[in-house]
Amino acid sequence: MANVFPKWCNWLPIRLLACGVVLGTTVVVGMSYYFTPKYVSIGYQPVQPIAFDHSIHATQLGLDCRYCHTGVESSEHANIPNSQTCMNCHTQIRKDSPKLTALYDSWRTGQPIHWVRIHQLPDHVYFNHSVHVNRGISCVRCHGNVNHMQVVRQDQPLSMGWCLECHRHPEMQIRPTQFVFNLDWKPGAGFDQEVDGKRLVKEWNVSPPITCAGCHR
Amino acid sequence: MECQPAHYMRGLPQVIGMKRKYNHPEQPTTGKAYWKSVEDLAHTEHFQRYLEREFPENADEMTKDPLTRRTFLKLMGASLALAGVGLSACRRPEAHLVPYTKTPEWIVAGRYLPYATAHPRRNGAVPLLVSTYDGRPTKIEGNPIHPASKGKTDAYAQASVLDLYDPDRLRFFFKDGIESTQAEFFSALEKLRAEWAKDQGESLAIITEEYLSPTMERLRGDLTRLYPNLTWSTWEPLKPGFTEEALGEAFAVGKTEPRLRLVPDLSKAKVVVSLDHDFLNPSEGGLIGVREFSNRRRALHPGAEMNRLYAAEPRYTLTGAMADHRLRIPASQIGSFLTAIGRELALQGLTGTFATLIDTASKLSLPGQDIDKAVHELAADLKSAGSEGILLVGEHQPANVQALAIAINEALGAIGTTLVPKAALAVPSASLKEVADQAKAGKIKTVIVFGGNPVYNAPADLGFVDLFKKIPNKIHHTLLVNETSKVSNWVVPAAHYLESWGDALAEDGSYLSIQPMILPLYDGLTTVDLLCKLQNLPVPIGPEQVKKTFATWLTNPRNSVTTPEMIAESWEKHVHDGGQGTCQYSWEFQEPMFNPQSLSEFLIKHPIKHSVPSKDNIEIVKAHDYSMDDGRYNNNGWMQEFPDPITKMTWENAALISPTMAKDFDLWSGIKFGPIEGDAGIVTGDVIEITAHGVTITAPVLIVPGHADYSITLPLGYGRTMTGRVGEGSGFDVYPIRTTEAPYFETGATIKKLGHHYRFAVTQDHFSMEGRPLIKEAPKDYFERHPDFVSYTEEPAAFDHGFYNTPPMKAVHEWAMSIDLTTCVGCNACVIACQAENNIPIVGKDQVMRGREMLWIRIDRYFSSPNEKFVQDNQVLPHDPQMIMQPLPCMQCENAPCETVCPVNATVHNEEGLNVMVYNRCIGTRYCSNNCPYKVRHFNYFDFNQRPIANAKSESLFFGTSKLYEGPLAPKGSPETIMLQKNPNVTVRMRGVMEKCTYCVQRLEAAKIDQLDKAGPTPNVMIPTDSVQTACQQACPSDAIIFGNLNDPASKVVGLKKLPHNYSLLAYLNTRPRTTYLARIRNPNPKMPGAEYIGMAQLKELREAELHEHKESKEEKTVPGHAAESTIQPHGGQS
Repeated sequence: MANVFPKWCNWLPIRLLACGVVLGTTVVVGMSYYFTPKYVSIGYQPVQPIAFDHSIHATQLGLDCRYCHTGVESSEHANIPNSQTCMNCHTQIRKDSPKLTALYDSWRTGQPIHWVRIHQLPDHVYFNHSVHVNRGISCVRCHGNVNHMQVVRQDQPLSMGWCLECHRHPEMQIRPTQFVFNLDWKPGAGFDQEVDGKRLVKEWNVSPPITCAGCHR
Repeated sequence: MECQPAHYMRGLPQVIGMKRKYNHPEQPTTGKAYWKSVEDLAHTEHFQRYLEREFPENADEMTKDPLTRRTFLKLMGASLALAGVGLSACRRPEAHLVPYTKTPEWIVAGRYLPYATAHPRRNGAVPLLVSTYDGRPTKIEGNPIHPASKGKTDAYAQASVLDLYDPDRLRFFFKDGIESTQAEFFSALEKLRAEWAKDQGESLAIITEEYLSPTMERLRGDLTRLYPNLTWSTWEPLKPGFTEEALGEAFAVGKTEPRLRLVPDLSKAKVVVSLDHDFLNPSEGGLIGVREFSNRRRALHPGAEMNRLYAAEPRYTLTGAMADHRLRIPASQIGSFLTAIGRELALQGLTGTFATLIDTASKLSLPGQDIDKAVHELAADLKSAGSEGILLVGEHQPANVQALAIAINEALGAIGTTLVPKAALAVPSASLKEVADQAKAGKIKTVIVFGGNPVYNAPADLGFVDLFKKIPNKIHHTLLVNETSKVSNWVVPAAHYLESWGDALAEDGSYLSIQPMILPLYDGLTTVDLLCKLQNLPVPIGPEQVKKTFATWLTNPRNSVTTPEMIAESWEKHVHDGGQGTCQYSWEFQEPMFNPQSLSEFLIKHPIKHSVPSKDNIEIVKAHDYSMDDGRYNNNGWMQEFPDPITKMTWENAALISPTMAKDFDLWSGIKFGPIEGDAGIVTGDVIEITAHGVTITAPVLIVPGHADYSITLPLGYGRTMTGRVGEGSGFDVYPIRTTEAPYFETGATIKKLGHHYRFAVTQDHFSMEGRPLIKEAPKDYFERHPDFVSYTEEPAAFDHGFYNTPPMKAVHEWAMSIDLTTCVGCNACVIACQAENNIPIVGKDQVMRGREMLWIRIDRYFSSPNEKFVQDNQVLPHDPQMIMQPLPCMQCENAPCETVCPVNATVHNEEGLNVMVYNRCIGTRYCSNNCPYKVRHFNYFDFNQRPIANAKSESLFFGTSKLYEGPLAPKGSPETIMLQKNPNVTVRMRGVMEKCTYCVQRLEAAKIDQLDKAGPTPNVMIPTDSVQTACQQACPSDAIIFGNLNDPASKVVGLKKLPHNYSLLAYLNTRPRTTYLARIRNPNPKMPGAEYIGMAQLKELREAELHEHKESKEEKTVPGHAAESTIQPHGGQS
């Protein structure tokens, strides 16, 4: 019988296998980084209808987070402020600023502003803000230093694995409740995160849910 | 090397590698102790096969349609390939957060706001507290501060929220079938008003429902002063007026203000005799009665005092199920039965007017029953109770029967103690017959119908439909388009009560306030609005009219409220609280005088008729339906799928008959499964024609054990010809056979078997538990002697713990539930409450027939007949069984069999004892449901929320099943208003995931979070005692369901689980459920015939053995055998 297959076919199976392994590994490794919230979500910084600058309001002017995000201590949502909250000051300050046209239009017509959502959890996750801020988790843990951001971007992946890191070791993130809304506070003199964190966890009987019903209902 | 099965290996114990052996308790030799249906009892071969499969065999081939699984997969495979093209999911879609511009006061995003209001009903409004999210109501609860309900509701109140969001609601004004506007309607009214001014309203007739609203009454008074000749008629099909007539004759109170009602006070009653009065049904008897009865019923320890209930009724009702002694008496013989009781009471020495009114010559004869001894003992018991006894007669019984009952109650001394006279709102109204006569005479030119549906439910002998059609101007003010709207000129959209300002009176006469939760969705008008417009008053923008009524009431000299500021403050409180507590609306009310003279004259003029239904003299009873009421909930999906508590039928009605009658008329084919319907466990019935006074209706038949012989029950409210998408085609119409003289029962009917069959969607055989000891009950005296009787019918657990490691249950909260079978009446309020709270979809008739209903808690209804021997050849069926109800939510087993078998770990146990269902992990293998011994898991076979489900009519759509089987080819999308009702805290499940009761985990988490918020930097993380309630617990009118934290020693549930009659279902399986039951304790009268069988279905053998032992050894008092063995108690969830 004549040579049906050319000689290079001898090496083909091994070559295919090698290529397959290399390709497969690349795909898996690539996906496990590039397709996860760590890469996809962090840094998401959409353009907002009004270029609201947190660094001016929160740091420079010293507004507390809760002035605008009023529901954070009592509800699951830390709500975006309504136009009335902005107008509390902006009826006087920068009355004619072109940057605030959308706000004044909203106030005049009653049509709300459509802010672009940055931090979004899937629909099957039920997250509650109040229980976190009331029990010593600061805004900075999940949202980063928003008080210094000129345009808000996502700072943390907010994936389930990332949430579980803290839920399994709350002592690494817990802080005395008076510092929860102080986003610049760092554990320094007088507060060792690990030691004092463990103490607070014990004192306050902190036991974050690790089983599914805590967040998935 | 040959592999040997493990247990053959020498030396090793037999346990390794072997399946766990369960010692299922043997079936008692006298036949099954408890059975769910005649098929179950007969244990036909087909039924046995049906049971063995968790998911019914050939479920998809039930209707022999050509779409087999293979074809389906082929189709789906093709469409799936197409879906992949597009890659539209690569980019993250932009989402938006849209706050208010000005937030309304009190709204915090994410928290609900509860507002107090009331659900207006014909027998008394139900005080409610409605939860609203973002300005829309989602869940209805009872108002806990109001004594009329104490925070409880019934199924109708729970389902009424869905009526608000009904997509078939009327959205526009319609004139002669063409869309119109409110302005045009008002200008038409202007013209009509001119006509009425001319003849002082003589050409005007107004037909309303029973509204029990002081504001409506005030406005009616004003309107009548404006047009004195108008005819005002209150028409409620289920209020024939017999009670009012009887009261009018028995007491010296006429038809003037204030009218009289006798309200039972069951908290004072030791002995309750109920003749055809389903007072334990909260929709009929009210919530107060159920609660008070249950409070005296609850047997929390051996020897606790319990009340006693006797019931005599033509069909099985919830009251009959609870009764200690039940007699099957056809409706036409209730009068005779009452006479017999009266005669006995007189013979036993009770003195009173009634003694002179008894016809001593007549004798009660009931075929096949020995009634004399029963009547004798019943009378003796009632007499000894005296003023602590009460004799209740159904409101549909003729006035003379009710009058005699009043006389007997008076003689007992019950009037004033257990039967309290109270004022009722007296609305001088003409009867529908008078309206019909006026219409016939041509006097009526305009008729305005407020709500209701008189064209559908008017008595057939009036010829109302034709008379109505002939009236030139017909205006119908309605929520949904129905038969009356169809023939009306003007159809005016009504506002739902959740969109209205108003007021109402509760069943005990107390004054309630109704406030809107949301602006009318479709710019509807309330009844108050329309009444104002009729009088040329402006349409109220807010509560002006209601406030005016309130101010008038408040400034009554009895009150010390005088200034406008006090009125305003009181008004705020009135609306905030939902009412005035027990304060009655009518201030002027004097105790009525019993009038024996007038009563005697009345009874002599209208003697009680005595008739005996028989094969040639069939009685038909046109009864109120548990789910439809009088037909008003016909388009309410939850009510259509609500399994009737007695027949367990959904989506339709049937003519109910007794086994004897079925045998006599050869209507048996529903029992045999045979080749007619293949292997599926569908209940079928023969279709018959029923003819009474010349009118014939066609109905399918359902055989109900315990039904009176030669009496047919026809449930009202079905067979609507003009209804929405849900109610279309459901059931048959009974109203054509209803007349003014005989609105309830009549005799002299005949039936004819037509030969074909009908298939019902009945849930009673679904999720059967194969005869294991699920219900435990005992009579009171047995419970006293053997407090631990629940262990007698249990085998000890084979193992101490499973090989699955449950998480350590050491959390701060350990949730558990205890359900008391003694007080559960089976009203199913918990079922609908759970459906509302947890976004449970309805599935449609064809899916219910396949056993796929989604209700997370179900009420299993069991019959038991220890006194009647069942003969296998189907020729002799038990006639007089007892009935027990058992609510079944998820047991939340500590050793859950479902958790071990999930391949993807979608159901896990948490440290608080909950069996958690994680929808996003579930891939739909359904192994968990297969493994669950309680059958409490439900699988979403289709996308019930987004795809069209089948109503009762659509049995033969695409491929002979329903549109659900079209898959992606069916129209997709949920009506927007239905989406508004959904609870935002609970996931709405899609196709392919399993779901089950979660102990309302969203409420538990919310309660824990609230406590953590309050605690802040302190360790006080345990929620206050009993501060969280599951939806079922919150709705239960008799407090049968108790839920709480086992780690809190003050919690009620801790005490309940320590009671001797606490047991878990199937304890020998070692599942260690957190939901346990308190066995049902009955209180039979030992002198009554058949008393030895009451509550003794499983214990009968033991009792007989005990009696035998007693006879043999008179000194020994121990129970043979079991007392020593029962050292291992079934686990009651005590961790």
